[in-house]
Amino acid sequence: MLGRPLLELLTVPGRIYYETHLAPLLRMHGFFSEVALDLLEGDGEPLHTIANGKETRDSEGRPTSIRIAFVKSIDRRRYEQELLRSREMARAAAEATEEKLQREHQMAELREQFIAVLGHDLRNPLAALSAGARILDRTVQSEKERQIVAMMQTTVMRMAGLIDDVLDLARGRLGGGIAVEHKAGKPLEAVLTQVVVELRLASPGREIVVDLHVDRPVDCDSSRIGQMLSNLLGNALTHGSASKPVMVRAETRDEALELSVSNAGERIPPEAMDKLFEPFFRGKARASRQGLGLGLYIASQIAKAHGGELVATSTPEETRFTFTMPVQAESRDQTDGPVDST
Amino acid sequence: MPGVLERNNVKVRGAGEQSMMFAHGYGCDQNMWRFVAPAFEPDFNTVLFDHVGAGGSDLSAYNKRKYSNLSACADDVVEIGRGLELHDAVFVGHSVSAMVGVLALQKGPGMFGKLILVGASARYIDDEGYVGGFSAKQIEELLEFLEANHMGWSAQMAPLIMGNPDRPELAEELTNSFCRTDPDIAKAFARVTFTSDNRKDLAGVTVPTLILQCSEDIIASEAVG
Repeated sequence: MLGRPLLELLTVPGRIYYETHLAPLLRMHGFFSEVALDLLEGDGEPLHTIANGKETRDSEGRPTSIRIAFVKSIDRRRYEQELLRSREMARAAAEATEEKLQREHQMAELREQFIAVLGHDLRNPLAALSAGARILDRTVQSEKERQIVAMMQTTVMRMAGLIDDVLDLARGRLGGGIAVEHKAGKPLEAVLTQVVVELRLASPGREIVVDLHVDRPVDCDSSRIGQMLSNLLGNALTHGSASKPVMVRAETRDEALELSVSNAGERIPPEAMDKLFEPFFRGKARASRQGLGLGLYIASQIAKAHGGELVATSTPEETRFTFTMPVQAESRDQTDGPVDST
Repeated sequence: MPGVLERNNVKVRGAGEQSMMFAHGYGCDQNMWRFVAPAFEPDFNTVLFDHVGAGGSDLSAYNKRKYSNLSACADDVVEIGRGLELHDAVFVGHSVSAMVGVLALQKGPGMFGKLILVGASARYIDDEGYVGGFSAKQIEELLEFLEANHMGWSAQMAPLIMGNPDRPELAEELTNSFCRTDPDIAKAFARVTFTSDNRKDLAGVTVPTLILQCSEDIIASEAVG
């Protein structure tokens, strides 16, 4: 080995690496440390080593010698290669997952666009039906006919409600968020009272205890808050104990509006609590009472769009949904704009 | 998007009528010229730069697909030349940049009047009737081997450019700029370099060309010169 040029001791890749990386480093930098280099063994096989090199220089800065220490590192190299392989595998797996996710995401978006278009197009024939029923209502003679027309009108309204929910879902999901308009419309308390009246009519025999103290203006979209109460109250009537009253409370206190709906009855299983506000989540109820499972989702989106929050608590004694929001837009963290639900 | 001069970390020095552009080869950056370029500064306007992906270039401008051949590097050279309004300049290209210069000559007519090719090779891999110096297998082994030295890159720097404990200010400078290469880019650039074949482009060289060869250049042997 003595007397042979260094490069002859290296494998071909080692030589190239030495020339392109290590030689310049020695010249510019004066040393290199812990570099993987392969020496050629007698049989032509590579011998993995770790090398440190240093160039000594005279007082003029001219190189006088180069010393390189090689340390055999077969196991270390093997270990490093395993690490590299696993890193490569992890990277490939992450890429595959990412790609799959992208595809799923695109699919989901397409489905939501479909829902939006479908929901929108269903409204027109429904409006025609509704108009037809109204005309019939004016001319019907017999009590039986009147009942049938009334049933048709109720059904049309129910369908319109379902379509509105689907459209709200699609809007929330397509990034626009649920639209809220902060305008000085009907006073909030009056809107809430109206919602309770409607639901009382729809659920005769059920007791709804109302306690409203909205004694200052609230900067909100009152019809949306009414929609939220309607969803929460409808939910409480469907799932709560039929023999106990449902409580509706609203009050303004310390710059905040708090609106809550509570009912007695079976507690919500803890494992279901996380999913309550997800779209299409449906609890146990008679099939005939089932909606699309969008009520709570939409309610939570309305809460978000107001810079507020909707939380649920459930104990064996009581299940309660509480919505809180700042009374004035200025004191909110979030802007009034649409909230992206994704 | 930053300008070409920022993208390629272009440094212009010297005082002369004629410009001389220095293009570094594979494995380093414009620091490679630090003992060479200053010698030309009294007589030439020297232009140094880093190829995209190397040294102080804008790494975000690197795109594996775009830089999958030397032509993209030559495009960059021409863009730099246009940015500096180079005309009849001297192009000095080391190693792989020699062929980059050959390509740039075609892409930017009039920009370069002379080529100086140091350690040039139009093809590194042996072919029928052609000695490039390496077998295809050896080049594959090289690409594999490069990974072995990229283990230490987890902290975004190679152990080989770690600081000199006695002179921290030097270490700072070196770790920040000297031969800094992202491991993935280094590997991709190695593939581009060592699998290139520019033999047919040589016919397009119509300007005076000086070919410098090292007597013991293991990468570009005398025969390929």
